[in-house]
Amino acid sequence: MRASARAAAFLAAAVVCLAALSCGERADAPPYPGPGEKKLNLYIWSEYLPQEVIDEFARRTGIAVRYDLYDSNESVLEKLQSGVADYDLVVPSDYMVRILIYLKLLRPLDRSRLPAFANLDPRFLDQDFDPGNRYSIPYVWGTTGFGYDKRQTTRTGAPDSWAPLFDPANKGQILMLDDMRECFAVALKHMGQSLNSTDPKVLRAAADLLKTQKPLVKTYNSGDYENILAAGDVWFAHGYNGQIAKVAAREPQRLGYVLPKEGATLWMDNVCLPRGARNVASIYAFLSYILEPEVDARIINGISYATANVPAKKFIKPEILNDPAIYPPDSALEKCEFIKDIGDATELMDEYWTEIKAQ
Amino acid sequence: MSSGRPRRAVWLRLHTLLVFLFLYAPIAILVAFSFNQTSQTAVWRGFTLEWYRKLLSNDVLLGTVRNSLIVGAAATVLSTVLGTLAALALGRHRFRGEGATRSLLYLPIIIPEVVVGAALVTFFGVAGFRLSLLTVVIAHVVFSISYVAIVVRARLSGFDRSLEEAALDLGARPVQTFFRVTLPLILPGVVAGALLVFTISIDDYVITSFVAGVGATTLPLQIYSMLKVGVTPEVNAVSTLLLAATVVLILLAQRLQQPPPERPEG
Repeated sequence: MRASARAAAFLAAAVVCLAALSCGERADAPPYPGPGEKKLNLYIWSEYLPQEVIDEFARRTGIAVRYDLYDSNESVLEKLQSGVADYDLVVPSDYMVRILIYLKLLRPLDRSRLPAFANLDPRFLDQDFDPGNRYSIPYVWGTTGFGYDKRQTTRTGAPDSWAPLFDPANKGQILMLDDMRECFAVALKHMGQSLNSTDPKVLRAAADLLKTQKPLVKTYNSGDYENILAAGDVWFAHGYNGQIAKVAAREPQRLGYVLPKEGATLWMDNVCLPRGARNVASIYAFLSYILEPEVDARIINGISYATANVPAKKFIKPEILNDPAIYPPDSALEKCEFIKDIGDATELMDEYWTEIKAQ
Repeated sequence: MSSGRPRRAVWLRLHTLLVFLFLYAPIAILVAFSFNQTSQTAVWRGFTLEWYRKLLSNDVLLGTVRNSLIVGAAATVLSTVLGTLAALALGRHRFRGEGATRSLLYLPIIIPEVVVGAALVTFFGVAGFRLSLLTVVIAHVVFSISYVAIVVRARLSGFDRSLEEAALDLGARPVQTFFRVTLPLILPGVVAGALLVFTISIDDYVITSFVAGVGATTLPLQIYSMLKVGVTPEVNAVSTLLLAATVVLILLAQRLQQPPPERPEG
């Protein structure tokens, strides 16, 4: 799950204001004032943690869990930047983890208190946004492919590549995420390149491809693309697997999700400790709890996303484990990549993106 | 419609009808779908009260309704008192800086909500004030005072000062005069202001999203976070209830704002 454009717009304003007032460089997180209270305040995406899992934690430990829900990564940034929000755990996406670390808004994890960390698949650890997982624990992950309307592909068969998004026959029936890196990832993968390529020639070619694609695109949208697809207004909608799966689950005979064979973007949401987290004993009790294979499987069975927890797979419902939209086969996953910081090439990409959008 | 009516009237009616349809059809559909038997948002499958029943057993959603009611009630009481006092000061006294005070008072309505929200959260941050339900109440009072002041001032514009002078002449103390003469006369304006504030507070999203802290999720915040994973009929049901409550309060406010009918001298 990623930013909702609307929320992002006004939260950006807050960030600017707060940044102007923040008092320069912060020290690394201050020491804990003590073990804290038997309380836990969570700030998490909507429908990301089943109530029964929370209830059992409360039964087992006597720790009262309070949680508030958010709808965009920017909400997490805004709350943590305010410096006066009492959250003990937050669940930002990969790129937001990078920003939060950069702004020194997170507290390093004490891995010695989390033996269950070993349950996690190393393929999802030590990523570019948090080298060595000093601050973040993978919670759920997914891919950015596209959703499609099965009624429109009866003649051509189910798509398995990015090709339909560049096919003039689908003019006016394509929706792309309004997101520079995600759009470039589509073009680069379609060209057989890494989505983190920094080669100026390759980026130029990808930009040209996106330019030729633009007349085919009905709209660029990152807010409610899945509903536009579900309403039948487009045949193909580029987007995150979770949101597409939600609408596809309502009409499985009409809607489907494709992880193109050329590969795609990987995204991951991660549990992190805000710098001001206080109820430290409760935090580590909760983290150990959700890393337990059986508990994590119950979470996954309730929310239908993929986890990086290897032993949890034994307890996950087969219909989730065997759904290629949630757990793609390893062969497809090998071609997927997380979005990395591409350094100076970002500027070039920005320039091309403006060119494409202004065309 | 009688056939003798000029054709223009027919077009005018049609136009009016279309405008109202444009304004209210989406809301009517939302209300209708809160009674829909299926959770698919686009197909009608028959009437049910199932979603209202589910809503009533949804503790999380009801908790946010409770938060919204607490904030609405607290903000209404506080801002009505403060706003009325401000309106009285501005409406009946000439003092230095009166114009500036009036402009400052109306500013929170003119400033974009985003700016108010960002400013408040920055202020709370600098002051070291932990975000909670209390910060939401304070934020709502900030923008609500202006609405009360405007409505009450409008009521004061035709106020006959000689009534108060008469009371004072007859030996009433200033406090007695206020509670027995002034307040009853401006009461419709005060109540209308209060109702207006309550309706604005209960559906505020932008400012609230900035200043809400632990356990302070209000109903609009909850609905918005639910929208990301698809509109459920439960959201339609709770929106319908909110809509009904708001409409009733607005109608009440409008009634109270109308000038009182002339009473025959007794």
